[in-house]
Amino acid sequence: MTLLSQPAPGIVVDGVRRAFGEIQAVRNVTLQAHAGRVTGLVGPNGSGKTTLLLMLASLLAPDAGTIRIGGVDPIADPHAARALIGWMPDALGAWGSLTSRETLVVTGRLYGLSKPAATARADALLIEVGLVELADSAARVLSRGQKQRLGLARALVNDPRVLLLDEPASGLDPQARIDLRVLLRRFAAEGRTILVSSHILSELEEVVDDAVFVVAGETVDSARVQAAAWGARSWRVRLAGVEASVAAGQVAAALGLDATGVVTDRRDVVVPFASEDAAAAALRDLVAAGLPVAEFAAAQGSLERAFLDLGSGAPPPEASAPPNPDPADPEEATS
Amino acid sequence: MSGQRLGTIVRLELTQRTRSVAWYVLLGVFALLLLIVTVLSFLAYGYVPDQQGSAIYSTIVYMTLLLIVLVSPTLSGASINGDRDAATLAPVQVTLATTGEIVLGKFLAAWTTGLAFVAVSIPFLVVSTLAGGADFAMIAVSLLILVIEVGVVAAIGVGLSGILARPLFSVATTYLVVAALVIGTLIAFGLLGATMRTEQVNNYRTLDYAAYEDGSFPCLQGETPTDDYPCEPTPDLECGEWESYTYDVPRFDRVWWILAANPFVILADATPTRISADGYPIDLFGQIKFGVRMAQIPPEPVTTFDDCSATPGQNQPQDADEIIASTTPSWFVGLGLQVLLAAGLLWWAWARTNTPARTLPPGTRIA
Repeated sequence: MTLLSQPAPGIVVDGVRRAFGEIQAVRNVTLQAHAGRVTGLVGPNGSGKTTLLLMLASLLAPDAGTIRIGGVDPIADPHAARALIGWMPDALGAWGSLTSRETLVVTGRLYGLSKPAATARADALLIEVGLVELADSAARVLSRGQKQRLGLARALVNDPRVLLLDEPASGLDPQARIDLRVLLRRFAAEGRTILVSSHILSELEEVVDDAVFVVAGETVDSARVQAAAWGARSWRVRLAGVEASVAAGQVAAALGLDATGVVTDRRDVVVPFASEDAAAAALRDLVAAGLPVAEFAAAQGSLERAFLDLGSGAPPPEASAPPNPDPADPEEATS
Repeated sequence: MSGQRLGTIVRLELTQRTRSVAWYVLLGVFALLLLIVTVLSFLAYGYVPDQQGSAIYSTIVYMTLLLIVLVSPTLSGASINGDRDAATLAPVQVTLATTGEIVLGKFLAAWTTGLAFVAVSIPFLVVSTLAGGADFAMIAVSLLILVIEVGVVAAIGVGLSGILARPLFSVATTYLVVAALVIGTLIAFGLLGATMRTEQVNNYRTLDYAAYEDGSFPCLQGETPTDDYPCEPTPDLECGEWESYTYDVPRFDRVWWILAANPFVILADATPTRISADGYPIDLFGQIKFGVRMAQIPPEPVTTFDDCSATPGQNQPQDADEIIASTTPSWFVGLGLQVLLAAGLLWWAWARTNTPARTLPPGTRIA
């Protein structure tokens, strides 16, 4: 099955459905996440991402379809699957009166580690996620970002081959986000399978190898995603030392565009291009016209572009708002 | 089932409890109440100087059981759904800990928590035995039953916390179930027994006092005249007419088994009884056991009272130990039913909490 040229699938989901009463939370999800790669799970609020992750984490049984985690069926053999899985939930519950170190030691003991092994593992993880100074503070005094880091450490206690992260970056400060990105890339390099869901698409864009889009409980066909990602999109152009309003006219003239096709956004001029090739040609034209181009970049990440396009043409209200990683969103789990 | 994981879960639960100040305040209040009860018992049982120890001992054991019954539902009744609400259940469920280990671990922790109250009562129990009268069998049996009852209440709480979604609701339900056993059985016993009335015919006749108006009075059968008691020996007593009354009497003998499920009755019924010199049980256990056993004896359909007979009443009162010996012990039935109830609730909680979950209680999320 596994060809050398193709990465081994760490997570294989085929035709999974799950309803809660009348509400069909997950309608039809089929996806593969490969070992050695970071796979992003993208979708609006209530699209079924958390429900899907609960099924992958062996907590919830699907109504139909099959799941394989590293070749193990988490429904038929949850015990074997749990040894492979590290799961970081979106709603992070910490035992308030336990310290960070104790939390990790207890988790290690629940994974069957001996006491010295669990203690050593806890100390290593505290260093890994940068909680050493707070190792002996009760979890209830941790800030949200610190709790998030503790949750990540807890997901790593059993040295999992497959990592399921639900909104891991929410509440993290910029440095912690960078650390998380580095950590995820390192895990991927070690051959682990990583599935990470997030609303923060720019964040995701920098870390994922593959992306799976889930809309209304269904995975979106990858061809549609490709088309959306490669379709027409806008580029930001900034000219050094020129006011945006003035620059807009200059850019339009250099590209032979109607001035109304070029808009300004703060310091930048925003120009739509049909494809990347068209954008590259335009950059040549701008430079040839002697304009002082200081910045020339896609206005949206390809994930964001695809996400907005897939939301049936119009961006869903949640997605257009600033990234809102609210873990206590009840819709996510029950709908 | 792994001992290491089970032990880790028990320790996790206990660590969280022992790190709250409220817990120690509660134990302190408990000790204070027991102190008051102990002092009052010493004063109250002064009338049985030789054997007051067993009476005081039984009072303290009962007080301990009462307080545990009042406190334990709060300590155990939210242990599973409370964790789910705090989002700390799912992180345990994704580890290698099985549902059985989680439910059993929480039950053992809740039981241990209840036993902490028993531990607080031990100094008072020791003091009471020093007052004399308590014997080893009584102490051993009553403590064993107390420990089991604490476990039953803990299991009911943990079980319901796994069955019902809302912590507040499961705590309230635990209180209702425990109250049904403690108070509900009493109410059912009283009301049903009083409802099931049957007729009791009471035949009686007295002397024809009109025949003895001159100040003299006859010797009843078996009496002989003395100087202090100058009755007249008469072969034929002037007896009045037989009269007959009909009463409705409650039939507690038909419903006594309801009390078998009462924790306080189980404790009393199981514990060996010591009888005082005048034929009555000394301690609270014995008095309650005597009362419950008396309820088993059916009322006579016909009673007779004949003044003209040497033994006017038909029924001679029996001694407490005779009644206890001649009636049916029921504590093992009640305890067995309670253990079944507790085990059933724990099993149901296991089924509800097991993952991967197929159905979820309405309105809950798994994590």
